[in-house]
Amino acid sequence: MTVQMSKFNTVLNGRPVAREAALRIQQIVNGTAKTEDVVLDFAGVEVLSPSYADELLTVLRTKYGNEKVKIVNTTQAVSETFEAVETHS
Amino acid sequence: MDVTFDTVYKNPEEIFPGHTINFEKATWFDPWAIGLACLKGIEFKDQADKQLILPKNADMLMYLKRMHFNKILMEFTYNSFLGPLHALEIQEHDNENVCEILHCEFRDALEAQLSSKIRRMFRHFGLNELDEARATALVGELGNNVFDHNDGQWPSSVRGAIILAQHNPNKHRIEIVVADPGIGFSGSLRAVNKSIPTDEAAIELGMSGVTGRVGEPRGNGLKVIQDWTINKFDGIVRIHSGAGLVVVDGNGQKAQSVFSIVGTLASFVVKYKQ
Repeated sequence: MTVQMSKFNTVLNGRPVAREAALRIQQIVNGTAKTEDVVLDFAGVEVLSPSYADELLTVLRTKYGNEKVKIVNTTQAVSETFEAVETHS
Repeated sequence: MDVTFDTVYKNPEEIFPGHTINFEKATWFDPWAIGLACLKGIEFKDQADKQLILPKNADMLMYLKRMHFNKILMEFTYNSFLGPLHALEIQEHDNENVCEILHCEFRDALEAQLSSKIRRMFRHFGLNELDEARATALVGELGNNVFDHNDGQWPSSVRGAIILAQHNPNKHRIEIVVADPGIGFSGSLRAVNKSIPTDEAAIELGMSGVTGRVGEPRGNGLKVIQDWTINKFDGIVRIHSGAGLVVVDGNGQKAQSVFSIVGTLASFVVKYKQ
């Protein structure tokens, strides 16, 4: 199941917003994670804050496992945020 | 007299004597000093003898007007001192290199300003797409901290994040300041460690990734702010909280004890390439 992250916003910021998005993603994914990866498509997302990225990944990886959650179509800025979160966690 | 980061700690009693904000002799400002004045304005707001003395210098008066300093000081009940600023007329399209002071009382307001005014401001200042996205994320991170660590505990009736910015096109330098009248680093980290000796020690602890949100896997925001500011922007991170001041740049970290403020003032300076 692919989730278009830009449908949440093109500026993704803050843990409370990320927690709500993660809950919503669980609803969208529903039972498909048993057979498919959870693909987060960041096409169109222009700004991603570290706290949003950290919260989103923490909640979804806890739920589905590290290997199931995939991130695709990131801009350089969005990629840097994910890298920074991995580096500083 | 310059009223800037470089001067304000040398003679704070001249600028903030008693319950007064004294800008009378100001011949230059930076957003850090204006952020400090906002926090002092909140601290003094309920004092019967509070005073605000505006600059005599017409250019400095105009700078304060361009910052919309009168609007935020009105919120803090300084209206009787603001006549000369109210009387000034400005054209907003002349307001190229300063950002009007944004007071985001709630998290939703921060989100809205990030997506609109703050992004437009960085683009208008001339940042390319990548740097604009990075800088917006850093403002978001500083703003998030304001609400993450103060909601439910605001010490006074004034709450939220106060955001200021200024662009120096000659030096290719942008300074962004986020101020909040909250519980400060010491107040937040008391939940983790009740024996932190000083406010500067609390700031250093916070900057190292220790968080006051006990039991939650977080605390990386300030580390990313330092990393990006120094390594992507060759910039400076400054934090004044309580009576502590910590400055981090490519040469390392310096901490000192300074005059006390309510809450926290944090800034990052971006040096960009054209």
